[in-house]
This record gives sequence, C-alpha cells and structure tokens, in this order.
Amino acid sequence: MTSTDDLIRSLASAAGARRSASLHAAFAVTVAASLACALLLVFSVIGVRHDFADMAVSIPFGFKLAYTGSLVVGTSVVALYAATPGASATALYALAPAVIFLALGVIFDPTAFPITGRTNTAVAFCVISILFLSLPAMILTFVVMRQGAPTQPLFAGAVIGMLSASVGAMAYTLACKNDGTAFVATWYTAACAIMAFIGVVVGHRVLRW
Amino acid sequence: MTVEEREQRWAEAMRAERRGDAVAYERTLKEVATALRRSLAPRLVRAGLGAHEAEDLVQEILIGLHGKRHTWDSARPFLPWLHAITRYKLIDFTRHRRRETRRRVDLPLEDWLEIVESPADEANRSMAEVDRHLAVLPVSQRKIVRAIAVEGASVRDVALGFATSEGAVRVTIHRAIRRLLGPAEPTR
Repeated sequence: MTSTDDLIRSLASAAGARRSASLHAAFAVTVAASLACALLLVFSVIGVRHDFADMAVSIPFGFKLAYTGSLVVGTSVVALYAATPGASATALYALAPAVIFLALGVIFDPTAFPITGRTNTAVAFCVISILFLSLPAMILTFVVMRQGAPTQPLFAGAVIGMLSASVGAMAYTLACKNDGTAFVATWYTAACAIMAFIGVVVGHRVLRW
Repeated sequence: MTVEEREQRWAEAMRAERRGDAVAYERTLKEVATALRRSLAPRLVRAGLGAHEAEDLVQEILIGLHGKRHTWDSARPFLPWLHAITRYKLIDFTRHRRRETRRRVDLPLEDWLEIVESPADEANRSMAEVDRHLAVLPVSQRKIVRAIAVEGASVRDVALGFATSEGAVRVTIHRAIRRLLGPAEPTR
C-alpha cells in the first residue's frame, strides 16, 4: 500500500504540469502536413497528369476528389475517436459518406472503362503509388497517435493506416490516369486495406503505453 | 457514493488538477486507487491471476491515468474515460503476465528430450562423469584420486596399497586437485 501512496504523492506533485492538448488540432495539422508532403512527392517523383487542366473539371476527377476527400475526413474523425478513451462510437458514422461514394462508384460507373484500368500495369502502378505517397502520413499520424491514448492499439493502427492511404490517394488524384469510377473505388480502397493491415502490424508494436 | 456523485467529484478534481491543485488531485488519485483495488481483485482472479497482483495493476492504471490525463476532454464525463483506460490496462496486464508465466514454465526442446530419454542409472551416469573429469590427470594421480575421492579409501590405506608414504599421497592429491581446478579457473 505504501508504495502506491508514494507513487500517488509523486504523481500529484506534477499537478497542472500539462495543459489539455487539443487532439483535434493536432490531427488537423498533421493531416494537412501529410497532404502537403504527399503533394510534394507527386510533383517531384510521379508527375501531374499532363492533361490536368481538362481533367480537373471532369466528372471522374470530381468523383476521385469526393471519394478520397470523404475518406480523409472520415478516417480523421475515427482516428480522433481511437485516440480518446471513452469517446462516443458515433464517430464511426463519419465513414458513411465514403462508403456511399464507394458504392456509387462501383454500381453506377458513368464511364465505360474496365475495372482493371487502361493498361495491364495500371492496377499495380496505382496501388503502389498510393502506398508510396501515404508513407509520410503514416509516420506523422503515428507520432500524433502516440500523444493520444489509444485503448485499442490494433484498431487505432488500422485507422491510421486507412487515414494515411486516404491522404496518399487524395494526392495521387492529380497523377492518376485512370478515370473509371469503378477502378478508383476498387483499387484506391484496396490500397487503403493494405495500409490498414500494415497499420495493425505497426500499431501492435508502437501504440502500447 | 453514487455513480453521479463520484463522476462529479472526480471530474471536478481533475479540472482542479489542470489549475495546479495538487491536493485535490492527490485525494482523487487515492480514491481512485481504493475503488480500483476493490473492483480489480475479483477480475484478476477470474483472469487466472492472483488477487495480490491487484496492487501492481492499480499502480499501472494510476501511471496511465496520470500520463494520459491531457486526453480527457473536461467537457465530457470522466468515468467513461477512466473506465476505458482501466479496461485497456487490465487486458494489457493479464496478457503480459500470461506471457511471462509461459516463458517461465516453457521447456526448451533439449530439456524435453532429456526428460523423455530413458532414465539412465543415476549412479552409473555420475561415475562416467567423474571418469571423464579425471581423464585429464596422469595415470598415477588418477588412481590415487579415484581411490580416495570416489571409492572412499583412507590416505593410510592408499599409501600402503601404492607402497608410498602418506605424505606423498597427500602431495599427489593436492597436485591433482590443482590440476582439476586449473582449466575451470579462467571461467570463474
């Protein structure tokens, strides 16, 4: 008992040492910074689509942006939920828009492009590019998640993986040459799933406290 | 104390902590520790651990609470936050303890094979061991050491048997012992 009392006394002496840090702000800043990093990589390594000006006003690009944007927002909200003990699970509804866009993209594809892309290597190139672009986000968001208190480390890792992939995918929309909405919905999501898996593996090791 | 009273009391104290009120914080940590102690012991028993481990776990939870207290939103209830942390620490603690136990009782393959092997005659085996160790000695020393240390003969009998003086036998024994310890010494 006495050792616990000693512990309590030493903990209490640090009262007021920590301001309540806003995890909201931390996550918002991190996601913005991750997106900036990913965009930088798109410009420097992959290259923006050469017909970008025409594409930017088309429906396929609008869909890509809407889908990845809703994923970024949704997974950010869920990540905040995962970082806060006892937070309300209603945060999970934030993923609903992304799910709706995903379903719409697969079912009502207005373009007639094949789901495997325009070339044989399209799928591999697209998925690998998104994984590559999501790396900075992965590192930054893991750092922020460690500031939080994830009480389900595996879940938190999965969410971080998805968040990173969404950021990478959002940046990748500038370079992606495949306009089929079914292609985007399928393979962008596949990249998210892969990153979620990596996030689980990393989270298991990194997010314990 | 009802749940609502406790919620109000502890949430108020945690807000006071943010203003630097160490007294209120210490009092609340003590109350939390008492409440945890009471509720965790039966859970630990159910998880297959001893109730005496509760104190370690209570300390773990207090440290977690202290280290992550900035993640509590003071506009939200405190008890669900504390409950989530307690639950996480309880799961982590039992998992950790189980892994430790497994490591302690787990048998490497070689040990297992030794157990499964036909139980060789203990005496024979130790005799073979002794002979193996004595093999480093010259033949004359080996005979004398064997006679005294293994077969239990007296120095006088050995001296008679080998037709030398007792003093010579003692010297031989000392030399043999020095020689036997020699190779082992560097490792000590």
